[in-house]
Amino acid sequence: MFILKNAWISIKRNKGRNILIGIIILIIACACTITLAIKNTAVDLINSYKSAYDKEVTISFDRASLMKDFDPSQTEGRENAREKFDNIATYTISDIESFADSKYIESYYYTYSVGLNGNNLEKAEIESNNNMPTGFGRGKGNNLSSTDFTLTGYSSLDAMSEFINGTYTMNEITDNAWDIAFNGNYVFINEELADYNDLSLNDKIKLEDDDGNTYEFEIIGIFKENDEESSNTMSMFSNSANTLVTNASAITTITTNNEDLQATINPTFIIDSYDNVDKLQSEFYEKGLDENFVLQTNEELALSGVSSIENINSFATTFLVITLIIGGIVLFVINMINIRERKYEIGVLRTIGISKFKLTIEFVSELVIVSVVALILGACIGAVSSKGVSNSLLASEINSSNERTEEIGKNFGGTNMNGGMPNRGGNKGEMRGKGMPVVEAYDSIDAVVDMKVLLELLGIGLTLVLISSIASMVSIERFSPLTILKERS
Amino acid sequence: MTNKVKKNEEIKENKSSKNIILSVKNASYRYSDAQDYDYALKNVSFDFESGKIYAIRGRSGTGKTTLLSLISGLERCTEGEIIFDGKSLKDMNLDKYRNSDIGIVFQSYNLLPFMTASENIILSMDANGLKIKNKKEKAIELMAKVGLKESYADRKVLRLSGGEQQRVAIARSLSYNPKMIIADEPTGNLDKQTETEILDIFKKLAHEENKCVIIVTHSSNVCDSVDIIYDLKKVKEESEIK
Repeated sequence: MFILKNAWISIKRNKGRNILIGIIILIIACACTITLAIKNTAVDLINSYKSAYDKEVTISFDRASLMKDFDPSQTEGRENAREKFDNIATYTISDIESFADSKYIESYYYTYSVGLNGNNLEKAEIESNNNMPTGFGRGKGNNLSSTDFTLTGYSSLDAMSEFINGTYTMNEITDNAWDIAFNGNYVFINEELADYNDLSLNDKIKLEDDDGNTYEFEIIGIFKENDEESSNTMSMFSNSANTLVTNASAITTITTNNEDLQATINPTFIIDSYDNVDKLQSEFYEKGLDENFVLQTNEELALSGVSSIENINSFATTFLVITLIIGGIVLFVINMINIRERKYEIGVLRTIGISKFKLTIEFVSELVIVSVVALILGACIGAVSSKGVSNSLLASEINSSNERTEEIGKNFGGTNMNGGMPNRGGNKGEMRGKGMPVVEAYDSIDAVVDMKVLLELLGIGLTLVLISSIASMVSIERFSPLTILKERS
Repeated sequence: MTNKVKKNEEIKENKSSKNIILSVKNASYRYSDAQDYDYALKNVSFDFESGKIYAIRGRSGTGKTTLLSLISGLERCTEGEIIFDGKSLKDMNLDKYRNSDIGIVFQSYNLLPFMTASENIILSMDANGLKIKNKKEKAIELMAKVGLKESYADRKVLRLSGGEQQRVAIARSLSYNPKMIIADEPTGNLDKQTETEILDIFKKLAHEENKCVIIVTHSSNVCDSVDIIYDLKKVKEESEIK
């Protein structure tokens, strides 16, 4: 106890030096708090950004494998490649469900497309521009490109990637569209097709397959295509002019009714971690996936948007390390000077029988008391400053995050993100429910100085204090009391 | 290398009545950076008894301060040993030894200048772990014992005279009632009058409180006041004689 009492007396006695040490630690604490808060915020933002992008896995052709043995100069080679291509297995919804039944998959969705002709609907064309979907197929019947229209069914809003990425945006929509869109014969049509056939919301259209079966759909939304670059320059209409958007269950009804109808399935699986893709691929092969298919992820896309935030994060880390190194050196030097100035005191205390250990505790206690006060003040100042600093540093990321959020909402025909529409759902291993994807919007980034930051700060502060105390520890260990007192005499 | 000079006739060298508190047995000391043969002190043997006051004298360089640092536990013997109250210092915790068994008084007082007289004494009690209710009262009592008024208790030691500071240093060394007082030129900085007063304190401690007092000194005045004098001669001189 007298050690602490002595430490306190020494602090009061050496006000000037301790204020200087306090100011240095306060500056370090302040810089560390801001830096840690920025780092935490950046990490939160990165995680938030990544979570906005689900960890998606799609199945695609392994073209390199397909073309491996292909020699275009040899007729035989072409035949072999064709035979190989024809023998690629096709898959059904139940295959997709079987694939999705994996511990690595959290949920999944898919698009399901069939080709149909118009019954009371005229194809918007000068020439055929059907959008040939790529992906799994089922049936060996009519090719989609030979029909007037492509009817694409989405299993959920998550599957509606063209609306999410802004290729399509909703122009008009009925009030209850999102309540009924995924259950029944409802379609969204391109505005060009609507104009061409003088159609409007709630009108009914009829389509038919090659066997003459007719299917009636009600229009609940009209969208337009924004992807001008990929539009067919040979046609006055956009690529999606003859694409009708409906739900997957409507397609299932049609394919159940006509089993010869060729359909294309494009599944997307939401996985728990990109690290498990190889294991998942092996599992898919075991479940019957043709080895000419491979799994692809959206990892590159998901990471591309956070590169600038990661730069800020790494800058913050570098800044933190430099601050700690400089601060540590300054504190160490001040401690060295402190010890040299107090050499006589050490000599006297050692002579009267105070052990080296107790003396070390006294010197370290002095520094710890000053440091804790400075750390608390520094944390408070840092907490107040960090929000402004973070927001200014991350301003562009906040803007882009908000713009993306608003855009998705508008693409689906809403005025804001939620637009009064239900949220998406989906449990592990289940198909994603129907509803609007929710992406968190930011007014500003709260660079939160939370318990984690405070504990990190405390850890850094005390480590710094202990490292800089090495000066006093070593000196006390090395000083001979008799030598000190002789020098003094 | 050493001579023993018996000063007071009334002190009889009766082995049966000997009450040895400290024995220095063939103690040698060589600084860590010195050559193998370069001893600061070599083969010194003394006995010190309770209730007597001793002087260790010698010319400069004879190792007086080295001997004092060995018997006060500030250094350890390179060879030989020192026995205190039946135990070798080699086996003792020297910090504990210094803050319980012995009191040390220096020529330059070695008080902490930023503390008051009583705080310096209390610090020594704290180092000892002494558990008494009113340490300041005890400090004032010790100050009175060495001839200091109560009003000096709250004075910073730098505002006291040399003699007063030395009295504070003696009071500090008595704060935990040690069995032995070791003093290094305690009157070296003091005038004759004060020197006599300080020596009287030491005599009282030895003869009335049965403490062993060892004074390292050059002063003939001090040597005249002690019971036994030990002379130290230079190690080099001895080797030259050989």
